[in-house]
Amino acid sequence: MDVPKPRNYYTQPQFIDVNGLSTAYRRKGSGEPVLFLHGAGSTRMWLPMYERFSESVDFIAPEHPGFGETPRPDWLQNFNDLVIHYDQFLAELDILDFHLVGWSLGGWTAAEFASYYPRRLKSLTLIVPIGLRLPDNPGVDFFKLLPEELVDLLFNDKAALETVAPDPDDFDEICQAHYEASTFAKLIWSPRYNLALEHRLQRLDCPALVVKAEDDRLVPGAMADRFAEVIPGAGTVTIPDTGHALCIERPNDTAVAILKFIQEND
Amino acid sequence: MNKLKFYFFHLMPYGFVPKSSEFDSSWVTLSNEHYDPTRGHQLYNEYIDLLVAAEKYGYDGAIVNEHHANAYGTMPSPNLIAAMVVTRTQRMPVGIVGNAIPLHGNPVRVAEEIAMLDVISGGRIISGFVRGIGCEYFNNPVPPTDSVERFWEANELILKAWTEPGPFTWQGKHYYIPNVNVWPRPIQKPHPPVWLPGMGSLETLRECARNRYTYMMIFAPTWMCKWAFDKLKEEAEICGYDLPRDQCMAAIPTYVAETDKQAHREAKAHMQWLFNTGLKIKSSHYFPPGYMSDRSFRGYWSAVRDKGAKAPMDLTYDDLIKQGYIIVGSPQTVAEGYAEYCDELGAGGVLCAGSPSGPMPNWMAMKNMQIFAEEVMPLFREADGKPDYLREGQKIGATNAERSAQLGEPDNPPTAPLQGMDDVADLRTIHLPEMIDASLYEGVTRELMEKD
Repeated sequence: MDVPKPRNYYTQPQFIDVNGLSTAYRRKGSGEPVLFLHGAGSTRMWLPMYERFSESVDFIAPEHPGFGETPRPDWLQNFNDLVIHYDQFLAELDILDFHLVGWSLGGWTAAEFASYYPRRLKSLTLIVPIGLRLPDNPGVDFFKLLPEELVDLLFNDKAALETVAPDPDDFDEICQAHYEASTFAKLIWSPRYNLALEHRLQRLDCPALVVKAEDDRLVPGAMADRFAEVIPGAGTVTIPDTGHALCIERPNDTAVAILKFIQEND
Repeated sequence: MNKLKFYFFHLMPYGFVPKSSEFDSSWVTLSNEHYDPTRGHQLYNEYIDLLVAAEKYGYDGAIVNEHHANAYGTMPSPNLIAAMVVTRTQRMPVGIVGNAIPLHGNPVRVAEEIAMLDVISGGRIISGFVRGIGCEYFNNPVPPTDSVERFWEANELILKAWTEPGPFTWQGKHYYIPNVNVWPRPIQKPHPPVWLPGMGSLETLRECARNRYTYMMIFAPTWMCKWAFDKLKEEAEICGYDLPRDQCMAAIPTYVAETDKQAHREAKAHMQWLFNTGLKIKSSHYFPPGYMSDRSFRGYWSAVRDKGAKAPMDLTYDDLIKQGYIIVGSPQTVAEGYAEYCDELGAGGVLCAGSPSGPMPNWMAMKNMQIFAEEVMPLFREADGKPDYLREGQKIGATNAERSAQLGEPDNPPTAPLQGMDDVADLRTIHLPEMIDASLYEGVTRELMEKD
């Protein structure tokens, strides 16, 4: 697949065959395996936050089917397909027990995975996740927004945005964004939540942490609170001076907060 | 056969909205607070009257379509409007172009409604199928990413429901229907004509050629229309037949008046409403992710970037006229424009011919329609000036007597099992005393009758 390379932070991924799907991933570091599931964008990059993680743990950052350099397979219909894909991905890497971290869309995916395989997780960290219903607060419809409106709500720190924003005239990047947004729409168009998670997440017994942004203008802060409410014993931590893109805005603070939680629960 | 068919298309716009500079999209997010049902009452009834009047003016058909949550076309249920037009007209075809089949939970419902309309109208329905524009998906749980697949699957399901005896089971990717058995069956054989509106997608052109569906080019510059019709011809040749002109239709908003000058004077602002207000659509509403395949997305946006193609909302009146999106002028000017579509592009019909563009005063819509019918239509017709359908036989007899003569004795007369009778009762004669009394003198009815 001909995928454009971002201006900053691009690294060549490794590829592994996962049940017929050539899956791109980046992996660095040693120690506890930490599987990181990205959100609906910021693909193809080895971000500073990843680097910080890799100084302390074995950090594994795959690209979801239909994102980055992992193509979108015909079989991808819903989150169940992602859960099975990641189970198989971990089997290919020979990893049984691990720490799971997911950001935004990746947070939803991580919650789904945890609801199916609760006993494989050493810990679960959800960073500004989506996927539960807030009855009085459906939030912003991402898909109604123009790209510039979307990044405005994603990033409170425009300098951080500059480090990852593609050249707005790069047509290949525009097409890549459409490709990834199509995968995102396929997964979450309707409904924008999984009501079953409210019940299923109650069987989690691993340590769990919900990481909040100080001022998330894209996803209501109540969403993270709702996850913390539903998951038994989940703690929360707020990263100061951040929006929904906290992993890029405050990479060090975000990584350190999560690493502290992981190390406490080893 | 006439050179060109003319269809009266009403989009049913609602014009009483804020200035377009005050909102970013007249679709999806323009609040229905701006819709006044009292005004709507008058507009709907004027619009329906015009669609009905198309028959007396001599049009080849009246056309309606489906759109949701917008001011451009307030017709979320085109089948409702078609039902009203059908019962107020006698011979004229009525086209629904179309039902947005991927958006409906069960396509069998569309098969049923069209079949009902076809039966009620005596076989006058043209059945268009559309995906709905991208905006439509915001009002719907169907992901835009599934739109194309659902469209083709629903198309196949509906066609099978019309043409093969039921019941059968549909086991598709997007639809599972345990029992497909559409009552009523449509009158037209093998099925009502299918039209697919398109904007140049290759897949649509190929499927039109393959299935002998009519391709209907949506508002587009002349060059694009030519490209699409040429492609359709090629695809038809690949399928082994010469493309009949009837399979190529173009939607060209047309306004005619006494002189060119007067026509522009009257039409300009309304055409601009149609394109610049009615079709003022935020690009994220127009193209939700996955509505276009990645290939189409790349093709569309590279045309915009490299060739300066404009979205409808950015087209000036000069663009619209010069590029052939619309035709405005005297009867002679309009006829020249149509001759080009007919002779050079090979079009067999024009939609939006002498039809309202944008929210016009009713008198203006009628003026356009009358001059169009009297001074343009005859130029493309045989000497009798009739639409083709009046020269073709009707699908079924027009009167009780004709139908009775055609039908003869039914294979299955309506019957009911009757208590006390060896045979079933023929419901057409059972009420006669010699037939009914024997059965009534059984059981409880006997006691009741003897009471008198």
